[in-house]
Amino acid sequence: MSKGKGFWARLEDVPREVLYAILLIVFIIPMLNPIGFPVPISDAAKKWYATIDALPAGSAIMIDFGYSGGGEPELGPMAAAVYHHIFRKGGLKPITMSTSIDGTLLWDKVIAEVNPEKYGRKYGVDYIHIGYIAGTETAMAAVGKDLRATTNTDYHGASLDQFPIMQGIKDASSFKLLICYTTGGDQSEGWVRQWNTPYKTPYLCSVIAMMVPTMLPYQKAGQIVSLLAGAQAGEMELIVGVPARGIKSADVITLTHVLVFAFVVLGNIAYYGRKASERARGG
Amino acid sequence: MLVAGRIFALGMLIALWVFIIGAMEMAKKKLPTFRKLSGLDALPEMVGRAAEMNRPIHYTTGLGELTGTVAPQLVAGLTVLGYVSELAAKYGVKVIYSVYQAQVMPIATELMREAYIRAGKGDAFDAEGQIRYLSGEQFAYATAVQGIAERERPAANIMIGPFYAESMMFSETFFRIGAIQLAGTARGYQIPFFAVVCDYLLIAEEIYAAGAYLSKDPVQCGSIQGQDIGKVIGWILMLVGVLATAAGSPIIINLLKT
Amino acid sequence: MFVAALLVMVDYFLKIPGTGPAVVDLQNWGIILSAFALGFGAVNLFYLHTRHISRRTPGQWPFSIWILVMIVVTAIIGVATGATGPQYSWWYNSTYFALSATVYSSLGFYMTTGCYRALRARNVEAALLLVVGAIALLRNAPAIAVGVPIIIPMEAWLSAVPTTSAQRGIMIGAALGAIALGVRTMIGRETGFLGRLTEAERRGGT
Repeated sequence: MSKGKGFWARLEDVPREVLYAILLIVFIIPMLNPIGFPVPISDAAKKWYATIDALPAGSAIMIDFGYSGGGEPELGPMAAAVYHHIFRKGGLKPITMSTSIDGTLLWDKVIAEVNPEKYGRKYGVDYIHIGYIAGTETAMAAVGKDLRATTNTDYHGASLDQFPIMQGIKDASSFKLLICYTTGGDQSEGWVRQWNTPYKTPYLCSVIAMMVPTMLPYQKAGQIVSLLAGAQAGEMELIVGVPARGIKSADVITLTHVLVFAFVVLGNIAYYGRKASERARGG
Repeated sequence: MLVAGRIFALGMLIALWVFIIGAMEMAKKKLPTFRKLSGLDALPEMVGRAAEMNRPIHYTTGLGELTGTVAPQLVAGLTVLGYVSELAAKYGVKVIYSVYQAQVMPIATELMREAYIRAGKGDAFDAEGQIRYLSGEQFAYATAVQGIAERERPAANIMIGPFYAESMMFSETFFRIGAIQLAGTARGYQIPFFAVVCDYLLIAEEIYAAGAYLSKDPVQCGSIQGQDIGKVIGWILMLVGVLATAAGSPIIINLLKT
Repeated sequence: MFVAALLVMVDYFLKIPGTGPAVVDLQNWGIILSAFALGFGAVNLFYLHTRHISRRTPGQWPFSIWILVMIVVTAIIGVATGATGPQYSWWYNSTYFALSATVYSSLGFYMTTGCYRALRARNVEAALLLVVGAIALLRNAPAIAVGVPIIIPMEAWLSAVPTTSAQRGIMIGAALGAIALGVRTMIGRETGFLGRLTEAERRGGT
């Protein structure tokens, strides 16, 4: 009960609805009226871009859409920016699979956003999706060992043999690069164990921001070439030159982070204020 | 015959097997001692609190699948569920177990039934009311658990197993209703969220040690000792590796890459 | 179980002719089991919710009707138009995706209240947590990183040194724990999850 509580105690126990309301306001304003805060481009984003750029023509890239619907606002823009890069560069073979059951539908969403036809890219020739494969790490191991034994159809159910992009694709050794977008550590770490460790496939990984500290050991050990949070999609969009949802979110990220910092400071001021007033009353 | 680049890993695996099985046998003669795990020591306190308040205990083993790589964490959570169920049965406290994966239901039913029988309260076990399959979808499961928290107001919330993004939702919701919380997971992503909100925390391999700690079973205690020997080898390799690398010798790095 | 696990391990470390195809089959069986688990979950949902409906469980049965209706409608749309068809995509985006993203986003609110309440400098360790958290928070705000560039190398050091070492320790410990549990399970001595906490009880004793 707030009656009888001092000012500091009431500040310390601010109802959560008040905090939520302030956060919501700070969230909505830049979404409706983008402010245009500067966005630094990190070394990791530059390395990601350079890795794809350095691939020779004809290189096959395994892309895992391993995130669920909840992660789409964060990872969708990143995936879209990377697809823009791949399609613009041309000559590469992005072959996508999903270790998440939502992956195929989320891939559809991203492809619709990217519009490969704009780059003259055709499904089955320049890009393909081989479907959702259940089992997470088991799926990764099976595909790495023998892709055709694991699945022989694309996500529409059509035979892979009819698609020019799949010619010569047998197993992990057929791929020059692995990219994973995921909200689950099982996928991000699983690819390290099942592809990078046995087959030494270079690996680019994009995860939600809270997973980055836990994935850092792999990046520091060189098992992941570049690790990006989905929240860094704005950086990727800037490098590739396709500003979209990621850049728009950057303003929101800045303001909400500053707000939470302000809340933390306020909470500590309230805590010490309450302790001081209790000491003053008691002493 | 040996695959290049995996020879050292094979050697370490064999060595770990030897240590673990050897320690299991040695533990039958002399039980190893554990350091204090305050989270597990607090279980009787949590059950007692629930008994005094006449409110249930909520238990969840997270989003694990028995066929997945996080299955060991799920198994660890089920082990503690058996202990908590027996303790709760003795005090007449209801345990509500929220199930994510349908495959776990028959295991949990058998486990809890046996726990109640061991406590001498076999008739008090109500499988339908206590073991609730909520959903196999992450956020549907998460919101269902939040619903249980708001409606049934458990006095204690125990979360041991593999947790994903819903960890913060669970911790905050149960904190809001005033439940005492014990959380344990080996998924490093979620440990910080539990650490910030929960009253007691088991970090990473502590959840695997939970079964041994609670039961004092020689086999389980011995295997924990065996894995600790593995850790000692890890430390030695790290120390020698750091010194060797600092001295300009790649011997340990090359050994690890063998 | 022991033989299957050993086969997979042997195939990873040794080149023995004949093990490769057997392991591929085992892995494909694993994929099939995982896929069946999804279907099993749906069957279980039907069973449980029809029970709620038939018993008119107070406060639950209307929602049980709703969930069954949604399952049936989604299944009909998926089967009739194909799981990759535009109608199914529209249905998915309008219902499941919107709800999933919303609930996921609610985490931001929970974290805000968690930060406000829990990040208090009550003692030295908490103060350290607070300072490190604040640095990470500000570094991840793009505009702040541009405006206060000193924060970038500070956060980089925190990530590269203490965070990575702690995470490595946790990973190694968790991996060893998983190996130990795997060993116990493979040799049939892990019975905790079967409800019998000790070997004596497993042999029928007390």
